Amino acid sequence: MPENEFNAQFFEQFLDDYFAESDEHLRSVRRNLLALEDSLAANRAIEKNVVGELFRSFHTLKGISAMANVSAAETLAHYMESYLRLLRDGQTAFTEKGLNALIKSTKKLEEIVAARRDGGEIPPIEIEIKLLESLTIDGEIVESRPPSEIESIASQNLRADKSLYLFTFLSSAELAERGVNVNSVRERLQAIGTIQKSTPAVKEGGKIAFEFVVETGSDESVFAAWQSDGINFEKIETEARETAVARESKISESQKSGLFGQSNVVRVDLARLDELMLMVGELVISRAKLAEQIRQIENLLPSGEWRSLQELNHAIERQLRNLRDGVMRVRMIPIGEIFERMQFAVRDLARETGKRIRLEITGENTEIDKLLVERMLDPLLHLVRNAVSHGIEDAAAREAKGKSPEGKIRLHAETIGETVEIEIMDDGRGIDRKEVAKRARTRGLLNADENLDESGLLEILCSPGFSTREEADKTSGRGVGMDVVRRTVDELGGEIKLETETDRGTKFRIQLPLTLAIADALIVAAGRERFAVPQSNVREVIEIETGALRQFENNEVIEYRGAALPIVRLARVFALEEKARGAFHAFVVGEGKQAVGIAVDRIIGQSEIVIRAINDRLAQTPGISGATELGDGRVVLILDVSAITRRLKQKI
Amino acid sequence: MKRILVVDDSPTIRRMMIASLRGLRDVEFDEANNGLEAIERLALAPVSLMFLDLNMPDIHGVEVIEFVRGHKAYSDIPICVVTTRGDEESRAQVLEAGANVYLTKPFTPQDLVAQANKLLADG
Amino acid sequence: MIYDQINEDSFVLFEIAGTTYGVRSGDVQQLEMIEHITPVPNSAEAVEGVVFSRGQVIPAINLRTRFGFPKIEYDVRARLVVVNVEGRNIGLIVDAAREFKRIPPEAINPPSETLSGMSGKYLKGIATVGERLILLLDLAEVVKTAEEIEIEVEN
Repeated sequence: MPENEFNAQFFEQFLDDYFAESDEHLRSVRRNLLALEDSLAANRAIEKNVVGELFRSFHTLKGISAMANVSAAETLAHYMESYLRLLRDGQTAFTEKGLNALIKSTKKLEEIVAARRDGGEIPPIEIEIKLLESLTIDGEIVESRPPSEIESIASQNLRADKSLYLFTFLSSAELAERGVNVNSVRERLQAIGTIQKSTPAVKEGGKIAFEFVVETGSDESVFAAWQSDGINFEKIETEARETAVARESKISESQKSGLFGQSNVVRVDLARLDELMLMVGELVISRAKLAEQIRQIENLLPSGEWRSLQELNHAIERQLRNLRDGVMRVRMIPIGEIFERMQFAVRDLARETGKRIRLEITGENTEIDKLLVERMLDPLLHLVRNAVSHGIEDAAAREAKGKSPEGKIRLHAETIGETVEIEIMDDGRGIDRKEVAKRARTRGLLNADENLDESGLLEILCSPGFSTREEADKTSGRGVGMDVVRRTVDELGGEIKLETETDRGTKFRIQLPLTLAIADALIVAAGRERFAVPQSNVREVIEIETGALRQFENNEVIEYRGAALPIVRLARVFALEEKARGAFHAFVVGEGKQAVGIAVDRIIGQSEIVIRAINDRLAQTPGISGATELGDGRVVLILDVSAITRRLKQKI
Repeated sequence: MKRILVVDDSPTIRRMMIASLRGLRDVEFDEANNGLEAIERLALAPVSLMFLDLNMPDIHGVEVIEFVRGHKAYSDIPICVVTTRGDEESRAQVLEAGANVYLTKPFTPQDLVAQANKLLADG
Repeated sequence: MIYDQINEDSFVLFEIAGTTYGVRSGDVQQLEMIEHITPVPNSAEAVEGVVFSRGQVIPAINLRTRFGFPKIEYDVRARLVVVNVEGRNIGLIVDAAREFKRIPPEAINPPSETLSGMSGKYLKGIATVGERLILLLDLAEVVKTAEEIEIEVEN
């Protein structure tokens, strides 16, 4: 057994990968289940590609859960996959019962993954397995080679505005070096249409080619330019198309989109974005150098020519800022992604509680930083669950109050300046102020004579010691309470407000910054280490010739703007390896007489960093305010510039 | 230096595989997350051994094996299929298509290392 | 967590300078390969630096330094054993972490006087399993003393 345990332990180092990948698949599962539900409600045939994607998600979840030793998830995913295989291969009809089983099981899968993550008890899966088993009466279905999904894609009647093309991509090392490879070519093709079939082939000289049959409405001029990237095309004329299609496909019902879904979304690795940001940073530094050069030649050029040069310089500066904002925007994702999950939770809970609820979603296209979205997910879920289980009354109670029997929950998001506002509103009974006050008094959270206004009410609701019915109520979620909601909003630099009125409903308004604790930073090298310096601290970057340094009362100074600027060598402050060098960089911090130059070996560039705290005493040290990461998983320390300059002053 | 190509549509699994094999001497790794990419990678740089998943988007692992075995330039590359439980029924088909070894997830690091040593030595 | 199934008697064993040490499995968060450790300037000698562990910045203590052995280059066997001590997550750098072992309470004896050398004060007990001697670490002590040293350095 020790070996097994050790292996389990070995793969534990990948748990974070496991959680991230599971979450990604579970999100896609939820999206696809909603699509299935819509089809069922509208009495439409279910879409093959939706089922195909679900199948693959459960298949992958099964595999990674097996590896991560989360056997409950593996088993459950296995049963779900078996059922989906039947659906995919058309061996069983899709029913309400099937949908419910999938929804229940997905929820259970989420709970299992969450329990694994939080160290909680893994919930039992017997009920879900029984449900799924009853759907796959013949038990295990034998896996044969799946009808290669492309083949099962319908050759729908080609719409008048679309044509079929055969694209051939001849892969080569030179192209791959330029980032042109089968994956990027596939992405391009998906952007212009639907890939119907892809096949590899060997061409003369042993070169590999990939052939894609693509249905597209785009004009040939769009992809004619791709020939220099090794992508050739020919139109498949209708007649030829029919034979090609007849050869390929068991023709089935109409399909809206192809194998990969008709998506114009390209996934980007955050690390690659960071790389882009670094490049932008380099450009910014080069531009600063250019500006300095232009300043120096002011007297050498005729003033008209010098001015146009200067204008060009300003234009580049503006364009660079736009470029930077553009790259930042790529980090943003529509909040709709989490609203979708809310939809799922509301529906589940409505089912469980027997309440009738209509969910209204507006502003789902509002964009917000991806990291913020991830952090806010559980708190928002909690608020929505609260709205369903404590806010909305049951139909009879509503009618007695003269309200519509159907309760309403509204989720809304919008961008206001540099913030995003998220609203969670219900038209339920409202929060019972007296009841809350009474409980707060018995818990010593409120003085006997104190009254509660809305902000006071929120204060009480969010205090860790307070809880109304939530504790005993499983619907309020796993481990997240109002205190966590508030703490998360605080940590993210946001604000939460409450409005509530008896029998009219409750509204939570959450304001968040558009982006996380992200700062622009200068990345510098000293000794063997890299450090980040918040850009807001840096006034200027200068290059210093070692020969220009003067010794002044135990301090090094240089002449800078007509005054003596003290220079602190970071390597000496931090006892880092120091090499003798002819010149080095320094960044100037502080104004006027407070100005100090902090010398480093060199400036590597600029980067947008996410600031993380260093909480453990063992790792805290004067001169370091936090840590960040530049995309390679290594910790990069953030300089606390004021602590370093304070140190210098004490020395003086 | 021998080059091992790891093909799986799950990045987590690819990482686990590479970590398991990292102790081998004189090997380097390449990875692909789908069948077409796998074929491209092996055309771009010679590969000494391939670990291959079956159920992937675009083309199925069996099609990758058939392609590799069908072309002289690649037909000698040893292939170890690593697939998920429940696909076992495809075992005969996979071996018939020309895979050398068939493993099922969960694998252990020792499984992978043993197969890699064996297949690299045979090759 | 995996440790749910592992009872109180289960230990993670690791090696430092040829000696086997153990800590309770329940105190271990995870084992990681050692990649890059970022040194923290002016920190205590045994604090090798910081790493990210599950998104958190945690200190990494070199147990060789802590126990007074000479430092060596990390090889492929070296591991970071991330432990939870009184709510703090701390990484311990060890030469190798090899296995799990159940050690019944009756196999554990208090540390003897003779073993109170450099690492003696960090021991909670000594286990004899067959021929093997396993030194069981007192994690709170390992970390506490590190802090004291940190304070000494600062002064």
